[in-house]
Amino acid sequence: MLSTIVFSVLAVIALASGIAVFRVDSMARATYALAVSFVAVGALLLMFDLDYIGVITILMMVMEMAIMAIYMIMFMGMNPALMPMSMVHNKRWSAILAVGTFLLLAGGALLVPWPARSGSPATDLTASLGEAIMGSKMLVMLTVSPILFATIVAALVLANPRGRYDRWGDDLQRARPDDPQQGGLGK
Amino acid sequence: MSAAAVNAIGVTSLWLLVGLPALGGIALCITGQRANRMAVPVSLGTAGVTVVSAFVVAFSRPAVEVPFLAGAPFGLAVDGLSAMIVPTVAVVTLAVLVFSAAEGTEAPARFHGLMLIFAAAVAVTATATTLPALLFAWEIMGAMSYALIGFRWREDFRVTAGLTAFITTRTGDLGLYIAAGAALAGGAGLGLANLAAAPSPWRDLIAAGILMAAFGKAAQLPFSFWLSRAMEGPSPVSALLHSAAMVAMGGYLLLRLAPLLEITGWAGPTAAWVGAVTALLLGAVAVAQRDLKQLLAASTAAQLGFVVLAAGIGSVAGGTAHLIAHASTKALLFLAAGAWLSALGTKQLSALRGAAHRWPLVGVTFAVGALSLAGVVPLSLWATKDEVLAGALEASPLLYVVGLAAAALSAAYAGKALVMVWRRPLSNARDEYDTEQPGTRHVGGWERIPLVVLAAGAALSGVLALPPVGNWLRGELGAQSDARPGLLELAGSAVLALLVLGLVAWKRMPQLSWAENWLGLEQATRVLVVTPVLSLSERLACFDDAVLDRGIHAVAREVVRGTRGLARFDDRGLDAAVTATARAGVRAASVAGAADTSGVDAAVEAAARTARLLGSAARRPQTGRLHQYYAQITVVLAVAVVLLLVVR
Amino acid sequence: MTLQLVLIAAAALFCVGLYGALSQQVVVMVMMGLELMLNGVILAAAAFWWFLAPTPDGQVLLLVVIAAMTVEMAMGFAVATLLHRSRGSDMTDSATDLSG
Repeated sequence: MLSTIVFSVLAVIALASGIAVFRVDSMARATYALAVSFVAVGALLLMFDLDYIGVITILMMVMEMAIMAIYMIMFMGMNPALMPMSMVHNKRWSAILAVGTFLLLAGGALLVPWPARSGSPATDLTASLGEAIMGSKMLVMLTVSPILFATIVAALVLANPRGRYDRWGDDLQRARPDDPQQGGLGK
Repeated sequence: MSAAAVNAIGVTSLWLLVGLPALGGIALCITGQRANRMAVPVSLGTAGVTVVSAFVVAFSRPAVEVPFLAGAPFGLAVDGLSAMIVPTVAVVTLAVLVFSAAEGTEAPARFHGLMLIFAAAVAVTATATTLPALLFAWEIMGAMSYALIGFRWREDFRVTAGLTAFITTRTGDLGLYIAAGAALAGGAGLGLANLAAAPSPWRDLIAAGILMAAFGKAAQLPFSFWLSRAMEGPSPVSALLHSAAMVAMGGYLLLRLAPLLEITGWAGPTAAWVGAVTALLLGAVAVAQRDLKQLLAASTAAQLGFVVLAAGIGSVAGGTAHLIAHASTKALLFLAAGAWLSALGTKQLSALRGAAHRWPLVGVTFAVGALSLAGVVPLSLWATKDEVLAGALEASPLLYVVGLAAAALSAAYAGKALVMVWRRPLSNARDEYDTEQPGTRHVGGWERIPLVVLAAGAALSGVLALPPVGNWLRGELGAQSDARPGLLELAGSAVLALLVLGLVAWKRMPQLSWAENWLGLEQATRVLVVTPVLSLSERLACFDDAVLDRGIHAVAREVVRGTRGLARFDDRGLDAAVTATARAGVRAASVAGAADTSGVDAAVEAAARTARLLGSAARRPQTGRLHQYYAQITVVLAVAVVLLLVVR
Repeated sequence: MTLQLVLIAAAALFCVGLYGALSQQVVVMVMMGLELMLNGVILAAAAFWWFLAPTPDGQVLLLVVIAAMTVEMAMGFAVATLLHRSRGSDMTDSATDLSG
């Protein structure tokens, strides 16, 4: 009983803050709302005895929101006046589509005859997860890590305003670097 | 000189004789008035060369033959007879041309040109050995005669006179064509020498044709009247054509074909009698004339009657000698008459009374010619006439008597003219002058020289009939066996001539009115021949218009109607069918076209349109808008899931 | 706390995120919508793991989803930065064509 109530509360919080993301006027507030949503979901995960995953979810998401807030402000500027920002397009169709999808998924969730539980969780889920990662699921991790590394490199490359190829030419043979501010500082 | 060189010279001279006058004459005629100044020198020069060539060919006796028509070559040759005639005609031609140059003619280029062409034609006639050559030259002589008689063409009566002369002689020339046709049909060939060898019925036809042509050209009865009309031409023309050359060729033809006349039994006597009667009757006509030129014309016909008589009885030597003597005599007389006509403007005998006194030379030469014509000893025509009459005596005494009477008549008319011109002129003689043309009252020196030359000929040609030269002539002509006149006959005719002359001088001449109009021959011909022919042709023309023409027109109209019917049938039937077929074809094509457009084409177009629509529809999702891509993904995923669930 | 309930909640989260991803013009907001969608996916995955097969291998899936989320975030922001640099705008509408 208690779990149901806690779950319901946390679910409502997550949903409400999710909706709030798109309804608030300030970028920062939207970011915070998303963070709250993520925290709620992380808490729900904790309810499922997923300690490790829940915690890292909360941690990662909060950090991510912070970064997102920076980006938001960088792109869209501070909005100290908190003017109503409603930059949407195709609201009606999106709503229809979203509702339709919800109905589909909910209907599926309700109507599909789910099978019975086929096992029981281990006593120390974190340890078992660690073992699974290092053991039978090492391949997954091996795949994920290059992907993450590639992501880092790619993001850096994409975000780099002026690389050495811009400065030194396509074959890096230019005599002097092509900088907006001469002086060798690379600015 | 070698024989070949002599032959070459002879042949060249023969071609010169024939060709030079022809070319010169044609050149003068074609050049026309621009050559007027050069006409006289060209003409006299050509005539001179012709004389020389004539004597050369007379000595060298060449023969040539060139192909002309198929099987009918053009042959010229000079034998004994031609050798006598050709130089005579050439000399007379030169004398006449000198006289006419001195007298002066209008349009000298045309005059001399025509005269030269005539001279060439005479040369060909006198030397022809084949009928084509003879016919060719014969016709050209006739044409030149027509042109020269009507020389002053602005006066219509002269042209009409020329036409009469031409048509009459042309009618006679039909005889030559008949003879040529008969010769071809008889297989004798067209050589003159072979005509006598033709088989019997054809021979008679040939002889008849030859006689007709010769009588026509020589102005024998019944053709004589044309010579009267021919006097309308200028006097030099009369002197050459109608005394010495063209009419003489009629006689020459008979002399040439005397063997043919002899072989056919009837042709010789016919020719002899026609010649004798002509000499007699036309002698009477001459006596009755009051115009000097008409008198001379009748006398020409009469003297040629003697030549024809000689040819008919076979006395070739006599005929030839008479022809030569008559040529120079008559040419002389005509030239003198011409001189008086141009000087005094008249040729009436009564007006010419005493004309001989004004220009003594002309008068004396005229007297010589007249005396010769009369047959006075020792002038030419006395001796030659006697040679002819000797032959007549041998053939038939009656013929001799008629001939003698004709000789007496010739003395009469010659005397008439002679006496009249030598009479003392009347004081009012000048009133009679200038009746026919204005007289110049002048006879030039160069006009007199030909008169003298011809007078010498008239006087001396008699030797051709008398023993020394006469024998040579007979030898040349191969006529040694001809009759010779005896001393009695010679003396008798001389006495007869003197008697008649004395009679004419002393007594008045009787007026023979029936003979004055040339025996009414022209009117007779007009009534008997001309009018019937013209009316017949008119009737035939009417018949043709009324019957044949109408028939042909009717046929033509029927044909046109028939064709119009066919055309209508074609328009309504065939044409309509073809057009309907075409239209049906077009309609079928348009139906097929419509089917193609609406069916096949439409289907293809629809397919293309559908593809295009699908293509543009396929582009629609590519908006570039992120949210739309998300929406599409969502929808597709949902559909896929549903499908998966349903299928599973 | 039944599976259906959790799933409904996850579905609701997912659809809210979907609505946001579809309707927002700003790139970052779209990314936020995507985050929410992934949020819902995480929740649903956890529910499935707990209620159907609570094996350690299932948790690996959750980790992978989180890693995917991370990667997506990183790439998304890098591209947004590039877009902002080249187009001077942060609207998705200005990135409809590839030129420039």
